[in-house]
Amino acid sequence: MKKILMALAALALTAGPAAAKLKVMTTTSDLAWLTQRIGGDRVSVESISTGDQDLHFVEPRPSMVVKLRRADMLVRIGLDQDMWADSLVAAARNGKIVYGAPGYVDTSVGIKVLQVPTGRVDAAMGDIHIFGNPHYWLDPANSAIMARNIAAGLARLDPSGAPVYEANLTSYKKELDARLEKWREAMAPLKGTKIVTYHNSWIYFAGAFGLEIVENIEPKPGIPPSPAHIDKVIRTMKETGARFILVESYYPMKGPGMIAEKTGAGALRVASSAGGLPGVKTYFDVFDFLVGELSR
Amino acid sequence: MIKTMVFTGLFLLPAAFCAAQPDAQFTSRVIESAPAPQGMRGTPLNLPDISVIGVFGGYVSDDKSDDARNKLEFDEVETAFQGYIYPKMRADVFLALHKHDDGYEAEICEAKVSFLELLPGLSAQAGKIHVDIGRLNKSHSHHRPMADQPPVITNFFGEHGLVGQGVALSYLLPLPFYAELQGGAWTVAGHHHHIDDENTAEILAVDGSTVTVPVIVESTEFGVADKTYTGRLLASFVPGPRTELLFGLNALKGRGSHHDHHRDDVKISGADFTLKYWPSSYVRWTFQNEWFQLDRRTASAHMIRDGFYSLLNYRWSKYWDAGVRADYSENALPVVSRERVYSAILTRHLTETTHARLQYRHKNVDGDKANEGWVQLSFGIGPHSHELE
Repeated sequence: MKKILMALAALALTAGPAAAKLKVMTTTSDLAWLTQRIGGDRVSVESISTGDQDLHFVEPRPSMVVKLRRADMLVRIGLDQDMWADSLVAAARNGKIVYGAPGYVDTSVGIKVLQVPTGRVDAAMGDIHIFGNPHYWLDPANSAIMARNIAAGLARLDPSGAPVYEANLTSYKKELDARLEKWREAMAPLKGTKIVTYHNSWIYFAGAFGLEIVENIEPKPGIPPSPAHIDKVIRTMKETGARFILVESYYPMKGPGMIAEKTGAGALRVASSAGGLPGVKTYFDVFDFLVGELSR
Repeated sequence: MIKTMVFTGLFLLPAAFCAAQPDAQFTSRVIESAPAPQGMRGTPLNLPDISVIGVFGGYVSDDKSDDARNKLEFDEVETAFQGYIYPKMRADVFLALHKHDDGYEAEICEAKVSFLELLPGLSAQAGKIHVDIGRLNKSHSHHRPMADQPPVITNFFGEHGLVGQGVALSYLLPLPFYAELQGGAWTVAGHHHHIDDENTAEILAVDGSTVTVPVIVESTEFGVADKTYTGRLLASFVPGPRTELLFGLNALKGRGSHHDHHRDDVKISGADFTLKYWPSSYVRWTFQNEWFQLDRRTASAHMIRDGFYSLLNYRWSKYWDAGVRADYSENALPVVSRERVYSAILTRHLTETTHARLQYRHKNVDGDKANEGWVQLSFGIGPHSHELE
């Protein structure tokens, strides 16, 4: 009996550190990758959505509720980009991750948000986000702010791990700076290049690397293009000499392919998040792939 | 002609018009604190989220005895007021104007207070609520993937489904998979026989005199009413990363909607099974099935009735889905009738709350056949939301 009790005690001791890991749920695969980088061995992280999903179109499922029910922390993009998470959080009945709780992290805090609408906003303008364009993670420099928010959230829940999170944040920023330098160097010859994007999601990326977006294939955010609008895109591309069309992996390539044929531009199928395309496994891979495709 | 115009209007024009709409004006700013989720934002006036849903449509049928056929009109206008009233406590009020015979009736569609976390895993709702029994009853009509209501729900729960005033408790079981147990106690409004002065009969009283009494005929409508108790267990499993399986078990104990006259006690049991598969971001297959069995006892009869529907829906893009549905339902009356329905449904989604839909339905009730069709435009203004379904 004693032996059994001792064995159980030993098992409990060895199981201790694993059980103490913070359980973090994120709304996107990029946030999961970033949280793992900052949290290291002290966290277990899972993303609700996958990188090949349109974040405007994630369907909440009961299985996601179970994961949120057990989570210590929720990390989200915010700015209404992952609004579907609200119904999941309500269904999960977990006070640790509701708005305002220590385990609620919105990585948009501190971000300079672009295209914040002023004046009246309604559905006639398409799927406009009232807090501004939410695709801020596509400027890799913004990930330093996102990582800082995550580190602060982890430290709130696990004060004893704060030095680890701080060290991981510093190491992340160092690697990010090195990569930013490399990406900027590769993109330098493309500064001022005019591009077209399918959805209005690339303004942060364009701003980071000096590209100019002359048109979107969607006439308004979330509205499918009409033949007349496609004609307008083709005209604009010919007039401005736009060279590339960026299309997220979940959008159809048929329209952009046809436009590319008529204008001589390159239609690039790209990932906007980790896991968006085969081989694009991490947040850094998103930019390695994009920069590689554009500067080829 | 009307059908052609409606089809063109609903399916083709919205994309063409959007180019003529105004552009938004923009600025940029640094986010200083996390924006609150919808329903917690408030305004300088502390208003709730306010939204309106309208369902406008046409219904055609080759059944000449159907008074509702060949009409183009509003089916429903629903206004929602939603917001948090206290931490972990929210209120949702849905007021609706429904089409009813030749006019419109105003009613409280739902008005409920939700306690999101009473204890770990335990939540509660109180008020007038679409009861969580089966897959479809809980959802409002504009939120369903069809223009009509499956006959089994109409025949067993009534024209508007089961809507009760009461309390429901839900407990998320501490299991490695999703399993939620719910129990509710309700008061459901019954139907009262309209006693027509002209529909009378003379009967012989015990003293030998003749007295005139109203004749009460068995209504063709049935529903659950009065004190009603419900239970539901919903479990979800994930056989693969892009697949979700949902199983539900349902039970109800209550009375019939004409209990005053028939003294009928009702028990309903049921099961539902839904399989969802997402091969890619927008593409989704849904196979949804519900079965109910009604056990109704009156003073003179004991009826066991069955009904089910089976729906296969395929969404092939962000904007389009199509489905087929097969129904079988017996009625809840002493003289049994059997209804078989086959439907084909096509939906064009414009936004999350706005869609245009066409539905064809072939109905066969004990050999009486009819072909029916719906064209429907459901539109939403404002931040309208429903619970996770």
